[in-house]
Amino acid sequence: MFSPFTTLVHSRNNCRLSRSAMEAPPVTVMPVTGGTINMMEYLLQGSVLDQALDSLLHRLRGLCDNIEPESFADYELVYLLKGQQGNPFLLRARRSMMHPTAPWHLRYLGQPEVGDKSRHALVRNCVDVATSHSLPEFLNEMGFRLDHEFVAKGHIFRKGALKVVVSKLFRVLVPGNTENTEPLSLSYLVELSVLAPAGQDNVSEEMRNFAEQLKPLVHLEKIDPKRHM
Amino acid sequence: MQQREEKQLEASIDSLISRVAQLKNSLHNFIFKLENEYDRLTWPSVLDNFALLSGQLNTINKLLKNEKTPSLRNQVIIPLLLSQDRDEELAKLTELRVPVFSHEIVPDHLRTKPDPEVEEQEKHLSAEAARIGLDVAQKQIQALNKICSNLLEKLNNPREDRETESAAARQNKPFFNPADTTALVAAVGFGKGLAKCRPPGPVAPGQPGQGPIMAGGPSLQQVAVSGSSNQQAAIGGPVPPQQPGQPGKMPSNIKTNIKSASASMHPYNR
Repeated sequence: MFSPFTTLVHSRNNCRLSRSAMEAPPVTVMPVTGGTINMMEYLLQGSVLDQALDSLLHRLRGLCDNIEPESFADYELVYLLKGQQGNPFLLRARRSMMHPTAPWHLRYLGQPEVGDKSRHALVRNCVDVATSHSLPEFLNEMGFRLDHEFVAKGHIFRKGALKVVVSKLFRVLVPGNTENTEPLSLSYLVELSVLAPAGQDNVSEEMRNFAEQLKPLVHLEKIDPKRHM
Repeated sequence: MQQREEKQLEASIDSLISRVAQLKNSLHNFIFKLENEYDRLTWPSVLDNFALLSGQLNTINKLLKNEKTPSLRNQVIIPLLLSQDRDEELAKLTELRVPVFSHEIVPDHLRTKPDPEVEEQEKHLSAEAARIGLDVAQKQIQALNKICSNLLEKLNNPREDRETESAAARQNKPFFNPADTTALVAAVGFGKGLAKCRPPGPVAPGQPGQGPIMAGGPSLQQVAVSGSSNQQAAIGGPVPPQQPGQPGKMPSNIKTNIKSASASMHPYNR
């Protein structure tokens, strides 16, 4: 239980720093000392049709670091904590279906910033941490409730700090049963992301250059998720 | 006349020796690099080494084929003296590889025929070649020639092919669908289009078959219930607690949980 708990305190606090105007966190926040937590995720998104997947993978294999591309199959649970007012608080818990003994992955994502025209990527606060397997129970005890779940299967590529994830999203038909799924669409989601300390906007330039090289297979864009809510 | 030929032979042997020494040197360097610097050796530098070796081998080949080089095939070497004693001079010349010029190693080093196994293989191959008829051989040659010329053609105009191909592909079909992009981004962003795990209202706690993930849920619900209202707890575990008061409002449900959790700490105080 130790690791998820400390994590939560970290992310909470972090969240409060970045969104001080928002609601107060519903659970008492303990003072946090140390740790480099103020990381931002720069993100571009797009998709590719199943038929064109092979061409895209081929191109990525050529463009990215010359290491064997990794495949993954992950199960993601999105937990929600609604406060008295304001936005609900979202945490994402992920586990690998290929490596059941690997630690769970807990992720907090802040509000996306898309307004700045000079920045070529969406930017959001991001806290990642590995946790023990009791994470779902712990979140439940904290008052979090499972909001939705999905399975993502695909491939990861890297080029320096750039990370490219090409994944197929699956609906979970019976809650909690990862065997029984159906694909969400006939496309693969393509995400290009970089983790960097706040204010390092030059990485978005690098991302745009990389995205250019994937055209016309994929158009990676800065997409405001709110617009499609 | 004789003297001139001899001189020529000597010169060509000398240059051959120096070339071979160079080749040996680069091989030596390359092997050293492979054995000692393999962890930081880059692929381009490996290729460079190969290019160097192949260049040097080529030079030696050219040298042997050169008109000015007298035919070495016509030169005969006769071992004049075999000895069981160690020959320091010879050992030094061959870098300690051949310390003794004895009857044991001379047949190996001065042989003019291939190894018996190689000879055997060659015999086998010529027998094979003699076995198939002229017609069949001719046909096979033609087939091979055809394949080779096709391959050469492909290799010579790769760009044209590729360009027409990709142009055709570009015109014919799209690679992505903007609607799918939106759907996927919305799904991964806030679960749009994904089944909500928790149906609205307090039906969730009692729902069976939620799997191991939800195992913690019902128990918390029960704790919250027993903390807030005793008579409901008496009715039985999985009865939906907030049904009468707050129909289908999830936020209030959670609020209740938090309050009861912070007000009655008994589950944690054990």
